[in-house]
Amino acid sequence: MSARNRGTELDQVGGATEEGVDLPSSLHPTGMHTSGFGCFPMEPEALNLSWISKMQVNQPAVLRRAQQIQARRTVKKEWQAAWLLKAVTFIDLTTLSGDDTSSNIQRLCYKAKYPIREDLLKTLNMHDKGLTTAAVCVYPARVCDAVRALKAAGCTIPVASVATGFPAGQTHLKTRLEEIRLAVEDGATEIDVVINRTLVLTGQWEGSDFIKTSTGKETVNATFPVAIVMLRAIRDFFWKTGNKVGFKPAGGIRSAKDSLAWLSLVKEELGDEWLTPDLFRIGASTLLSDIERQVCNNPLSWDKLTSVFLRKKRKIPYWAMRTREKTSSDLPHCTQTSAFIQANPHLKWADWTRERECA
Amino acid sequence: MAATRTKPSAREIFTTLEYGPVPESHACALAWLDTQDRHLGHYVNGKWLKPEHRNSVPCQDPITGERLAICLQAQAEDVVAAVEAAGTAFENWSGLPGASRAQHLLRLAKMIQKHQRLLWTLESLVTGRAVREVRDGDVPLAQQLLQYHAVQAYTQEEVLAGWEPMGVIGLILSPTFSFLEMMWRICPALAVGCTVVVLVPPASPTPLLLAQLAGELGSFPGILNVISGPASLGPVLASQPGVQKVTFCGAIEEGRALRRTLAGKGAELGLALGAESLLMLTEAADVDSAVEGVVDAAWSDRSAGGLRLLIQESVWDETMRRLQERMARLRGGRGLDGAVDMGARGAAAHDLAQRYVREARSQGAQVFQAGAVPSDSPFFPPTLVSDLPPASPCTQAEVPWPVVVASPFRTAKEALAVANGTPRGASASVWSERLGQALELGYGLRVGTVWINAHGLRNAEVPTGGCKESGSSWSGGPDGLYEYLRPSGTPARLSYFSENLNYGTFGLAVPSTLPAGPEIGPSPATPYGLLIGGHFQAPGARSSRPIQDAQGNLHGYVAEGGAKDIRGAVEAAHQAAPGWVGQSPGARATLLWALATALERREAALTSRLERHGTELKDAKVEVELSARQLRAWGARAQAQGHVLQVAGLKGPVLRLREPLGVLAIVCPDEWPLLAFVSLLAAALAHGNTVVLVPSGACPIPALELCQDMAALLPAGLVNVVTGDRDHLTRCLALHQDVQALWYFGSAQGSQFVEWASAGNLKPVWVNRGCPWAWDQEAKGAGRELGLRAARTKALWLPMGD
Repeated sequence: MSARNRGTELDQVGGATEEGVDLPSSLHPTGMHTSGFGCFPMEPEALNLSWISKMQVNQPAVLRRAQQIQARRTVKKEWQAAWLLKAVTFIDLTTLSGDDTSSNIQRLCYKAKYPIREDLLKTLNMHDKGLTTAAVCVYPARVCDAVRALKAAGCTIPVASVATGFPAGQTHLKTRLEEIRLAVEDGATEIDVVINRTLVLTGQWEGSDFIKTSTGKETVNATFPVAIVMLRAIRDFFWKTGNKVGFKPAGGIRSAKDSLAWLSLVKEELGDEWLTPDLFRIGASTLLSDIERQVCNNPLSWDKLTSVFLRKKRKIPYWAMRTREKTSSDLPHCTQTSAFIQANPHLKWADWTRERECA
Repeated sequence: MAATRTKPSAREIFTTLEYGPVPESHACALAWLDTQDRHLGHYVNGKWLKPEHRNSVPCQDPITGERLAICLQAQAEDVVAAVEAAGTAFENWSGLPGASRAQHLLRLAKMIQKHQRLLWTLESLVTGRAVREVRDGDVPLAQQLLQYHAVQAYTQEEVLAGWEPMGVIGLILSPTFSFLEMMWRICPALAVGCTVVVLVPPASPTPLLLAQLAGELGSFPGILNVISGPASLGPVLASQPGVQKVTFCGAIEEGRALRRTLAGKGAELGLALGAESLLMLTEAADVDSAVEGVVDAAWSDRSAGGLRLLIQESVWDETMRRLQERMARLRGGRGLDGAVDMGARGAAAHDLAQRYVREARSQGAQVFQAGAVPSDSPFFPPTLVSDLPPASPCTQAEVPWPVVVASPFRTAKEALAVANGTPRGASASVWSERLGQALELGYGLRVGTVWINAHGLRNAEVPTGGCKESGSSWSGGPDGLYEYLRPSGTPARLSYFSENLNYGTFGLAVPSTLPAGPEIGPSPATPYGLLIGGHFQAPGARSSRPIQDAQGNLHGYVAEGGAKDIRGAVEAAHQAAPGWVGQSPGARATLLWALATALERREAALTSRLERHGTELKDAKVEVELSARQLRAWGARAQAQGHVLQVAGLKGPVLRLREPLGVLAIVCPDEWPLLAFVSLLAAALAHGNTVVLVPSGACPIPALELCQDMAALLPAGLVNVVTGDRDHLTRCLALHQDVQALWYFGSAQGSQFVEWASAGNLKPVWVNRGCPWAWDQEAKGAGRELGLRAARTKALWLPMGD
């Protein structure tokens, strides 16, 4: 692997509860080279610990900023659709369950290759963009399955693997290194490393290419206030050294609305140059389906689509909320579908869709 | 503008990842205007008042220039009608039990909640401010204000016993102030039982809408009346008989002019002037958060004014870089867009900002502008001005919206000196993670509100106001209530205006002192000197004035003080101020008690002096006894100052501090020559002020006797006593720029002059309008009004968290 993982246990800035470091390898992997990885200390001038001790964070002020940022930036219509599709390209489509098998990994990889339905993309004139997620992220033992499935699908989406005793990281350095080596051998090109929190809590920091809010397995995962602190640290580090460190929020990002907020957070705090899969990832497992649903609910898609989609969260048909404001002529299927829903109240949205398609 | 550009496709946006328009529909605002046929009048006594034969002005969308409605301009007779309606409503409203008023205010809060969408779209449409700020900030706060004051009304009989509502209140708003400023002031006024007439600038429909909402509650139609008219109607409203108090929110110069116009007109005047704020960024700050504080202060449509930014030299470069980076990400545009940070404020605000920036540039300043803001008027980009030479006029001038003027400082002490050196004193924030430093700066700043590591937080429970040129009117919290109350039994304020008073010559010349006839009896003692800087000295004029007793015989000679002596006294008081402020209330109390003891020791002498001036022996004894009691009472009260407020939505306390006014000049009344002197002195000293006193003109000798003890007991310069021609001394004190407050108890003409002259440095003044007071009664001599007047409030916000 091109493993540019310069250090195994890496930077972790400012935040309190979030650990975990993403080590993207070459960001556009061209092949598999397992060159040496291990502890390359960062150049001494690149990481100067005195910055950290000088750093001041005022928690109430950061909380206020976190609140504001969500209220001050929204996107609607075309912008919302485009932003949601962009968000898809940042997703590390993840499955980290104890019962993962090759079959669900295969489905995951298929979803990574075709994240949004073709007909939806066509209505937005985005079908020829080759839209995929940024990576798939699995446990080390499933890397083989993922690599095989992606190869079969004929695509170059990188496979990321969590490693080093994920999620606690409380195993011996030797086994952690071995874990990384094996994952890379199996074809993983990006490794999410859990840093040694003992070292962090005693003030012994290390550098990194990417920082991640948390493993996603903590009780509190990606939160805005913590992300603000991390993003500001990334910007300061860039200003001081010229090195761009990437950012990956993970855990608890489930709704399309959340993903938009994360995009605008990065845009506001770091700028557009960070809005690329090289520097920004969203670790998520269920986010994608909500994005697909919202793209479909976007007014742009309404008049062209024939299928029925519902807002799962509220269990209310989307147009039922909208028809109060809009005339029903905007929504040709409204009456028909409402009748269908009324007739089948026990069905969940996915079932509705399926039944509709069958009918 | 976004609307006129061809819409980009989703495909393009996917690449650029730009923000798009998030238009907020203003259909309901237009629908409301349609209910008035796009023709707005005034809202008086629960009805729309649309008199004929009035001038009208168009109300325009500040961005598109589209005409939204026609607004009638009020004339004097409309003002009269409104004040009459308010006067009639006052009879009922003030007589209600507090609980009923509370109920009514809560109903209004509900009403606002029901129509909040209309309120925020109308406000944003007409003013051009970002709808997000109005929707998420102003409207909820308006409801909170009503709820808080409903609770205050409910407990009024219990908590505010001994106080009564003033009567009809006039509120004058200038164009830059939003409907929220009106809410801040009408809520406490209505809560305590006053009724209000609001004069709003032409073409501001939101206050009219609020009045309509209040009127449609039915029961008490005349309690809130809104008329729209030109600023020239302000004095007309203020001088209506029946108007007991006028509150003015607007520009500093307008406030000054109004102060001069209203001198002697009877109504009390509360001023809330200017909108500039200050932010102090130390090297121990979370700089990124402080930069957000700057955005909150100047570039988020929260405040109507600009910001003075003081940055510690060691973090200057870093801060400027972050600021500029942040500015580039600000978005300006139509206020009714849900994703803009800054709207537009109309052509006047644009021109003001442009003029300021142009002048700053010509005076050698660096100007940095950035942000995605439409380039055409009335939009104005966020602007950062730096390197302004310290002596340039722009450094002194008020910073307009949306300009931030940055200047460096070296040490916290220097920052404090610079900040306190500006003539304005509304609000400031301090950014430092060092607790000791933050508190030192927070306590040291001479402003009304200080936020530590935050900026622009507001809450109905926290008093908001200012000092110096920002005016001393308060709103919110307990201080807001006292603005519209007076001690029970106080007579109504009537005009005592005298046409004959010539401000140019009042007290200008001192009548020359001539020998007062043959000196009979034993030769009088040497003349009393002036107590200045801790010792007695001869007056600059080197002359003395004779004092006669009740029989017309010569009692003694006192010094004939003049302008030069006043200057010396004020200077001495300033020098003594830091030491006295630094004393603990306990230490102050000890000194006052010692003075009381000394006064009692002199009882015999003082009684005989008073007796010689025609006081009965019995009364003289009472006066001396009461005087000693006053000193002790105020000494004890000094210990119970300020308190902690717990505010909803904020983790951490807000301290309501009571700080001294500074150098306080007191012209004592002729009546009760000892008691009044001691009462005023004791209240002033207990609250940490240093004083320059002019004792009773007819009978200054008892006070001067007491000065012998003060010279021995009190720190030098704490109390300075100047005798002489009262009009002349009053003139010197009222016009003095370094006298920070003035209490005048004397003639009607003197009162009028003091009110007029206070417009200079806008010092708070308290005058008796020529009416003698019963100083021996509890309500007057030791009353709470004296305590209220003797100190100013400061709200210190201390958000916490780690």
